Amino acid sequence: MADMNKDFYKDEYTPQVHKIGKLTGYLGVVLAFIPVVVLAVVYGIVPKPAALLTAFISGASAFGVLWFVEPISYFPVVGPAGTYMAFLSGNISNMRIPCASMAQVAAEVEPGTEKGSIVATLGMAVSIIINVSVLTIGAILGTSVLALLPDSIKAALNYLLPALFGALLVQFGMKMIRHSVIMVVVAFALYFAIGMGVFNWLPGASNWLGTLGCVFISIAVGIATLSNAKKS
Amino acid sequence: MDVMQMANGLLMWIACGIPVVFVVIQAVLFAKGAYSAGKKVGLTDDKMRKAMKSSAVTSIGPSIVVLSGMLSLLVTVGGPVGWMRLSMIGSVMFESIAAGLGTSAVGVTLGTDAMTEEAFGMAVWTMVLCSVGWVLFATFSANKMEKIEHKLSKGNAGTLTTIASAAIIGVFSAMVASHISKPFYSMLQKAEELAMSSAWHNMLACILGAVIMFVLTKAANKKDIGWLKEWSLTITILGAMIITALV
Repeated sequence: MADMNKDFYKDEYTPQVHKIGKLTGYLGVVLAFIPVVVLAVVYGIVPKPAALLTAFISGASAFGVLWFVEPISYFPVVGPAGTYMAFLSGNISNMRIPCASMAQVAAEVEPGTEKGSIVATLGMAVSIIINVSVLTIGAILGTSVLALLPDSIKAALNYLLPALFGALLVQFGMKMIRHSVIMVVVAFALYFAIGMGVFNWLPGASNWLGTLGCVFISIAVGIATLSNAKKS
Repeated sequence: MDVMQMANGLLMWIACGIPVVFVVIQAVLFAKGAYSAGKKVGLTDDKMRKAMKSSAVTSIGPSIVVLSGMLSLLVTVGGPVGWMRLSMIGSVMFESIAAGLGTSAVGVTLGTDAMTEEAFGMAVWTMVLCSVGWVLFATFSANKMEKIEHKLSKGNAGTLTTIASAAIIGVFSAMVASHISKPFYSMLQKAEELAMSSAWHNMLACILGAVIMFVLTKAANKKDIGWLKEWSLTITILGAMIITALV
């Protein structure tokens, strides 16, 4: 029975994920251009190529590295289905990863396992639906919504994400306390160095070096301690 | 015709609505596939429902944060485009910068100068062109990265779990470190008072989040309080936010 399950996951589910992912990913890129096509066809607004090229080059030099570094950094966390979904929907570190991880906690499954990946996919899909619903309500009601909020609540909203990250680090770190303490120290040193401009010679390093470095240092530390544990 | 009237017109809502609906369709397709696959690998309906509920609760807070970021885009590029750009591939910081780059290439400063038709077109084009890079590379590389990961772990299930768990801790320690290191290097660089105050507050919120979560998780585990396990994250975030705002 266990073998049959394995075959189903590897030979049926995974190829299906890639098929849906590639189809929707590339189609999504095409659909993203609908607004500019409407601007051109209906309103006759077409930017001058030279100006657009200037803007694109400044954008690409600011974000271009991220196009490659972020999918690589987050892949070990979100897996293939998660990669297809998270990058089409955006808001990865502040929403997709927390939701996928909390879904795994609620279902009591381990990350990196078959069950873990399936549950993370469910969690991520739900978070996309909730996120789009909240944004849709907000966009329709417009600026009037935020005008209703008192200033104290607006100020408090700024602290939601830092608090969420602190809480999630503890949630997941408590299972691997020594590893987490090492990683917080390493991450602090890395971010401090980035903040002090040590890596300014790398283009846009402040945007991507921290996450990339921490994910792969953490994986390296994890694998090293795993093989030590096996030897002893 | 006034450019913002056009930017907020019905036609733009429809044009931007198609990609947004598509993002939801993709999520539903993956969720359906995952749900039926979950049943086949032995996940119970109950567990999967719990997982989805937990994710729904977790996503509300960050969604509101994204929403409050979106409102600045609503003013500058109009409702439909702001809505689409944050529902698809978006992140608030990136979108505002990209929109600004687009308009400044034709001499319009976003948020200060009046929007012109040309600048609006530039903003939308730049946001779209600069954001599809992520999707193109992610879509192209997901299956290749999966193969590399399997090769590195030699298909060993234990190693795969270690990689995933370590990667999660890596991501969250990075996010935490970005908040707790900022006051220190900002201080050394003699940042202005307002920036320092917000850096200290963010650090405090981050540390409070960690401490409250630690206490609640310990308590919930020790006395085996089910509801506390389920709600500890929500209680923690609200508590940390309120205390930080009062300080």
